[in-house]
Amino acid sequence: MQKFLIAASIAVSCLLATSVGAQTSMSGSLATPTDASLYQALGERPGLVRLTDDFLPRLMADPRIGTFFNSGNQQRIKEQLVEQFCMLSGGPCVYKGADMESSHSNLDIRKSEFHALVEVLQYSMDAQAIPFGVQNQLLAKLAPMYRDVVTVK
Amino acid sequence: MKKTSVALALAVASFYGSWAHADTGKLLLTGGVSTIDGAAGGGLTPWAVIGSNATEGEVGASAFATRVGTQDYALTVAGVAVGWHDRVELSLARQDFNASPAVALNGIAPFGVTPGQHIRMNIVGAKLRVAGEAVLDSDTWMPQIAVGLEHKTVSPGSLDSVLQFLGAKTSGTDVYVSATKLFLAPGVLVNGTLRSTNANQNGLLGFGSAEPGRNQRRLVPELSVAYLLSKNWVVGAEYRFKPNNLEALGRAAGLGSALAEDNWKDLFVAWAPNKHTSVTLAYVDLGRIVPGITSDRKQTGYYVSVQFAL
Repeated sequence: MQKFLIAASIAVSCLLATSVGAQTSMSGSLATPTDASLYQALGERPGLVRLTDDFLPRLMADPRIGTFFNSGNQQRIKEQLVEQFCMLSGGPCVYKGADMESSHSNLDIRKSEFHALVEVLQYSMDAQAIPFGVQNQLLAKLAPMYRDVVTVK
Repeated sequence: MKKTSVALALAVASFYGSWAHADTGKLLLTGGVSTIDGAAGGGLTPWAVIGSNATEGEVGASAFATRVGTQDYALTVAGVAVGWHDRVELSLARQDFNASPAVALNGIAPFGVTPGQHIRMNIVGAKLRVAGEAVLDSDTWMPQIAVGLEHKTVSPGSLDSVLQFLGAKTSGTDVYVSATKLFLAPGVLVNGTLRSTNANQNGLLGFGSAEPGRNQRRLVPELSVAYLLSKNWVVGAEYRFKPNNLEALGRAAGLGSALAEDNWKDLFVAWAPNKHTSVTLAYVDLGRIVPGITSDRKQTGYYVSVQFAL
């Protein structure tokens, strides 16, 4: 039992060391400086318009999250999505819509609903024949937004 | 074993029946597959991910069956796991190890080992995610970190006399820390686990050893790397360091390296046709397992595992 406790305390101290290290050095950014290569791989603005034309109807039809997208002005949502994808992928755009935190703070959004949106986007990107590696680069730009979008923790 | 399988089948059927419409919402494969010890992870080593499809605010479950076959041995495993709020995982697994070559031990001493002897082991596991988000924190280096334990109880049957000779106990508890990170843009997942253990061959040959073998716990690292080929397909490799508690005892008894234990390695491919099913195939290299009764052969072979999750 004593040995077990020693081992357990070693494990816990390793953990503490790891998480302290994590908070100091590992919180360093992984975000790469964005050049325009991802924007180009997505087909630039025409590609993003096609993607969004596919994406929004799929979102609206999704039984899990459609309700979040059915009420707004569709044309405006599409334009904002294009602007946002364009800016995130290194394109020459400035997203002028509301920031993610304030635009979602009055909604009850669970993490599974954020995952559902990612899934629908993956389906849309598949439908647009966007290669898997390019898809993941765009998802890597979008994924950290869960911190602001998910309001039910 | 048959009763366990029936119980598992019933459990899976009832999960499907009652929760088929439940909206558990993890992304494909991000709950990992089931390790041979029941915890979610890779095949041979646990990861910091919490098993099942359940994410925050949800409860999910998974069931699995695994078969490993090498030159001289075979291992069959079945188990279940419950994931709570992507925070806590509880798992149960039952291993059935075909130790038929062990009958040769009767040639060394009158151990009374019966032909075709199987070793059975039950494993109760618990895991707690303490920090991080393995998948979505794609803009930082911070991994998902979890602590876990695996309490193992082994039933050696007629090999009990051998375990007594070795001075190995029939139960033990492994404690581990895991860190898992998906580098989303390149599609590469890395896991590191540090395990405190005194298990011999993962516990199938008991825990600890008589002098001059090693009875104390050791900290052993385990590493996994995986590459996403698509949403549904992952390939990867694992390397699990192991203690080698019994070899010194075997040497002192004039048996040379008869009881040596080696590190475990595997190359795997996992396929998830949908969110509820995954199939994992692997080539495993388990090194030597009691080489004194298996012509000093390395044990290499196949690993196949099926998991259902909700």
